[in-house]
Amino acid sequence: MATIELAGLDWAIIVLYFVAIIGIGLYLRKFTKTGDDFFMGGRKNSSWVAGLAFLSANLGALEILGWTGGTMKYGMFVSHFYWLGAVPAMLFLGLYMMPFYYSSKIHSVPGYLKLRFDERTRLLNAVSFAVMTLLMSGINLYLMALVFKVLLGWDWHVSMWVSAAAIGCYITLGGLMSAIFTEIVQFFLIWAGLFLLSILGVMEFGGIGNVMQGLPSTMTSLWATTGDAGSNAMGVTWLGLVMGLGFVMSFGYWTTDFLVVQRAFSSKDLRSARLTPITASFFKMALPFIVVVAGMVAYKLVMDPASGFKLPPDPSDPSKLWNDAALPLLIVRYYPVGLVGLGITALLAGFMAGQAGNVSAFNTVWTYDIYKAVINKKATDEHLVWVGRVTTVVGVLLSIGTAYLAMQFNTIMDYIQAIFSWINAPLFATMLLGMFWKRTTSTGAFWGLLAGMIASFAIFMGFRFNLVGPDLASVLTLSAAPSDMTRNLWQAIWAWLVCFGTTALISLFTTRKTDAELVGLVKGMTPKVDEGKVWLFGRPGFWAAVALIVVIALNAYFW
Amino acid sequence: MSQNDEGREPLPIWFFVGVILAVYGVLVIIGSFVTGRPTVLAETQPGLWWGSLMVVFGGIFTAIGVVSHRKG
Repeated sequence: MATIELAGLDWAIIVLYFVAIIGIGLYLRKFTKTGDDFFMGGRKNSSWVAGLAFLSANLGALEILGWTGGTMKYGMFVSHFYWLGAVPAMLFLGLYMMPFYYSSKIHSVPGYLKLRFDERTRLLNAVSFAVMTLLMSGINLYLMALVFKVLLGWDWHVSMWVSAAAIGCYITLGGLMSAIFTEIVQFFLIWAGLFLLSILGVMEFGGIGNVMQGLPSTMTSLWATTGDAGSNAMGVTWLGLVMGLGFVMSFGYWTTDFLVVQRAFSSKDLRSARLTPITASFFKMALPFIVVVAGMVAYKLVMDPASGFKLPPDPSDPSKLWNDAALPLLIVRYYPVGLVGLGITALLAGFMAGQAGNVSAFNTVWTYDIYKAVINKKATDEHLVWVGRVTTVVGVLLSIGTAYLAMQFNTIMDYIQAIFSWINAPLFATMLLGMFWKRTTSTGAFWGLLAGMIASFAIFMGFRFNLVGPDLASVLTLSAAPSDMTRNLWQAIWAWLVCFGTTALISLFTTRKTDAELVGLVKGMTPKVDEGKVWLFGRPGFWAAVALIVVIALNAYFW
Repeated sequence: MSQNDEGREPLPIWFFVGVILAVYGVLVIIGSFVTGRPTVLAETQPGLWWGSLMVVFGGIFTAIGVVSHRKG
């Protein structure tokens, strides 16, 4: 395909973005003096700032491109990843888990594991999380370079090194607060740069009803086709969706992944920290209005040869069409000079904010949970800030190394896409038992977490190397020939179950911590949160109820 | 965040969001007057009204940022 031509004004908009984010980093440098400033954003943020950053740390360009393309394959099912697969978990985090996280004044999620259990559980999670974030950051970098190479003709090496250098620069200068600022800028750029595509797409068809008219029923419903795995394009039943996506994967990610939870730790007080994921849930619910609507518009255009809208071949498999190119091609279709630059900048910001989020989470976990916990226990606050800055540079360089590795060995992508269910899914079982069952022991937590991670990895390798036959596949996934999506969901479910069962079983036969040691860390051992005289509209419980009602209404409407 | 050496708090993020939206809005409006390749729905002038909307929102966010910084 021909690459997208950029005018001088479009280039000016892109260059201005780099100037703005490095300028923000330089500005914040003057205010970044202590460890709390560098790693926790000063712990002074409102729930609005922390909430938008919480959402934006997850909202990458990869997700937007992928799910717009995914809508062309799965239809409205994609909305499950925004509603069922996010909102309940975000509300649970805000209402029930945040008091334990925030009140213990920890710097990271592994830090909670140290307080609740012991050093070995913290180290197991810290090391696996650090590896995961670097791999994710590198893959993000690689895919960004791939997208811009194919669509814009940009040089691989220049794309990767320039964006990585900018990220390294502003995080080294301003730490987490730089990452938070650029994430929020990215949030607004994504809405400003991409929402207009959905609006113009709907305008071209003369209304949303006309866009949805004529689409197969499997593309326009959320639940109606989930009674049988063969009835929907994703090949999954309602049980797999609810248990795999709605429970294990969603709760595993949103409640334990330090990349997002770190943003809530930057809040000024407990009420703001609790409101952080609840505020974010409203914006999460709105995202299908960009990705799903744009994906449906692209699908309708592809189905109509007269529209002139054609997808290019997939760079990794030229025998297939490249659905992920749908959104950039809509930019070409609808956007004039200036808006093209804005749309490309929104994608660029999305890619870069994703990497920045990973790097800022990595430098905190490395500094507090590995360096200070194992290498230099007497490190001063000033020294830790220095370590955090050095770690940022090292993290960026390792991300670039991972990106080059992915460029050479494409199969690494398969492993990295599955890494979430190796790490986060079992961790959610550990956290759940740790926070809500005081009988959970340190020994149980460590071996349970390890067993869950190994179980998930074993299932992945079994499918990867065709060691799982149809009979065993039916037991493991309720489908003799499961799709990749179904396998991922069930892999996460099994990881969670193995971790939960092993932890509970070992805990029954080993010694637990005393009640006094569990104060502030376990429900029942912790004084109830007193919100004081806060009016109704300031209460986390009120907004969580509103969010729940809205998400239920959306699911009912698009049933 | 700590105060800087002059004892001042950093400007709130809303100020930066506002300035970026407003500047980009102006550039998008300028782009709508540049003759480029033909696009679908060009007759609706998307650059003009969307850019104007960005300038308005940018102005509001900048004002919020300045006012909240002055309040301290």
